[in-house]
Amino acid sequence: MARVVVLGAGIAGHTAALHLRRLLGRRHEVVVVSPNSRWNWIPSNIWVGVGRMTGGQVTFPLAPVYRRKGIDFRQARAVAIRPEGTTEDPRGAVDVLYTSPDRQGEQERISYDYLVNATGPKLNFAATPGLGPDGNSVSVCTFGHAEDAAGALGGVIEKLRAGQRQTLVIGVGHGTCTCEGAAFEYTFNVEHELRTQGVRDRADIVYLTNEYELGDFGVGGMTFDQQGFITSSQLWTESLFRERGVRAITRAHVERVEPGKVHYETLDGRRDSLAFDFAMLLPPFRGADLKAYDREGNDVTDQMFAASGFMKVDADYSPKPYEQWQADDWPKTYQSPHWPNVFAAGIAFAPPHPISVPRKSPQGTVITPAPPRTGMPSGVIARQTAYNIADMIRHGGGPTHTASMAAMGAACVASAGKGLTKGSAASMTMFPIVPDYQRFPGHGRSVKDTYGELGLAGHWIKHMLHFLFMYKMKARPGWKFIPE
Amino acid sequence: MSDVNTQIAHAPMPTGKTLKLRTSLPFQLWRFLWINLRIYRMVIKEHQAR
Repeated sequence: MARVVVLGAGIAGHTAALHLRRLLGRRHEVVVVSPNSRWNWIPSNIWVGVGRMTGGQVTFPLAPVYRRKGIDFRQARAVAIRPEGTTEDPRGAVDVLYTSPDRQGEQERISYDYLVNATGPKLNFAATPGLGPDGNSVSVCTFGHAEDAAGALGGVIEKLRAGQRQTLVIGVGHGTCTCEGAAFEYTFNVEHELRTQGVRDRADIVYLTNEYELGDFGVGGMTFDQQGFITSSQLWTESLFRERGVRAITRAHVERVEPGKVHYETLDGRRDSLAFDFAMLLPPFRGADLKAYDREGNDVTDQMFAASGFMKVDADYSPKPYEQWQADDWPKTYQSPHWPNVFAAGIAFAPPHPISVPRKSPQGTVITPAPPRTGMPSGVIARQTAYNIADMIRHGGGPTHTASMAAMGAACVASAGKGLTKGSAASMTMFPIVPDYQRFPGHGRSVKDTYGELGLAGHWIKHMLHFLFMYKMKARPGWKFIPE
Repeated sequence: MSDVNTQIAHAPMPTGKTLKLRTSLPFQLWRFLWINLRIYRMVIKEHQAR
């Protein structure tokens, strides 16, 4: 009998756990360790943040699903990995701290034969003084944050109704943030909401981003073949900003957020500030900051994890200039190079480098989006990791399935306003996610498979995906046929 | 700050016809099917690449 421990129950962890349970017979054990009791379809948090959905509509309790599927759920936070076990027990182990009300604060060491680290990101609000719900801005990263953001937005709408002008700043709160797509979505959902409420004319909306150009989205932008022209996601995005009357500040690193004022530095070295009445600024991510110890108890954290806290896998981490970046630098199996029974899935793996061109201000401040690996790539990597572990348990040998982001496409549907007949979204596909200039000279991606379109149909698709993934993740009948 | 707002001011502005098509129910129903086919194609390519 083998025991597989999955750390985290987000998109990657939950997907890996469900597939492992499906692939492995009941004589093998699947254990999920997550500090959260509920699963959250994070893409719909945007709609919670404008009051169009509730936290309850984008989450469900994990325990009943795991009980039904025969998965052992421990509501606990992993704090350390012991990949070589201890002097008493050579099996790998994880130290956890329970967060469930009945076992709060209790510690346990859980041994494993295989480990999937899918701990996702730590929301690093501390990287920017004053950033976040404990500071002077709101967030939509969790359903709780999004509900608070909706409350704050409601206050702004009341003031607009009373005739006061309001400035809303939406974007990212650090020069190395990722998830610009989510900031884009929230910007246009807020804009749509203000129009729906009839108060748009008194509101100034400013999109504040670390992207070099609009439409970069942390993937270096996209090139489309549309209506006989090769065009870019930059032009396409700028067109939407013009149509909806949204201003933008690009190439910015937020230095601090004071009550009602955001201070930022731009790539040309200038420092500036902007007064606001409402600010939703996403935090940068870092790894979950797990520690790692060898059998004798020596700290081997720097062997298992990168300085960012994300886990090192089968990527090429050697420092090299942008001109030498290769598609092959990106991991394929997400297996730890030191401990072959340890894998990372989703955001938890350390990317070898960004996808967007790296840039620094004259002061040396890095202002470059981190590479996105949420949503579809997270799910695909998790599924392939489950296949690899199941094969290794059943047949021995090494990983047989790959999921390189340089060989994988992605579909991204970015909402620009909710409504069955008045909503809209930007539907985008790209192939591959990480440009491969050897395979696709010129643009790095297949122009045939990289596409963008705005319209109501995109909103329907995003809404459909909400229901499909809530269904799939509840492991209802036929869930495995809904692709990641 | 970059001159992004100047760029935005000169970006292509959708015509009334384009805006109407973006919310036209029959046209968007067709686009719904077409975009889903594109996404499905992406999923198939990803499965083939395994």
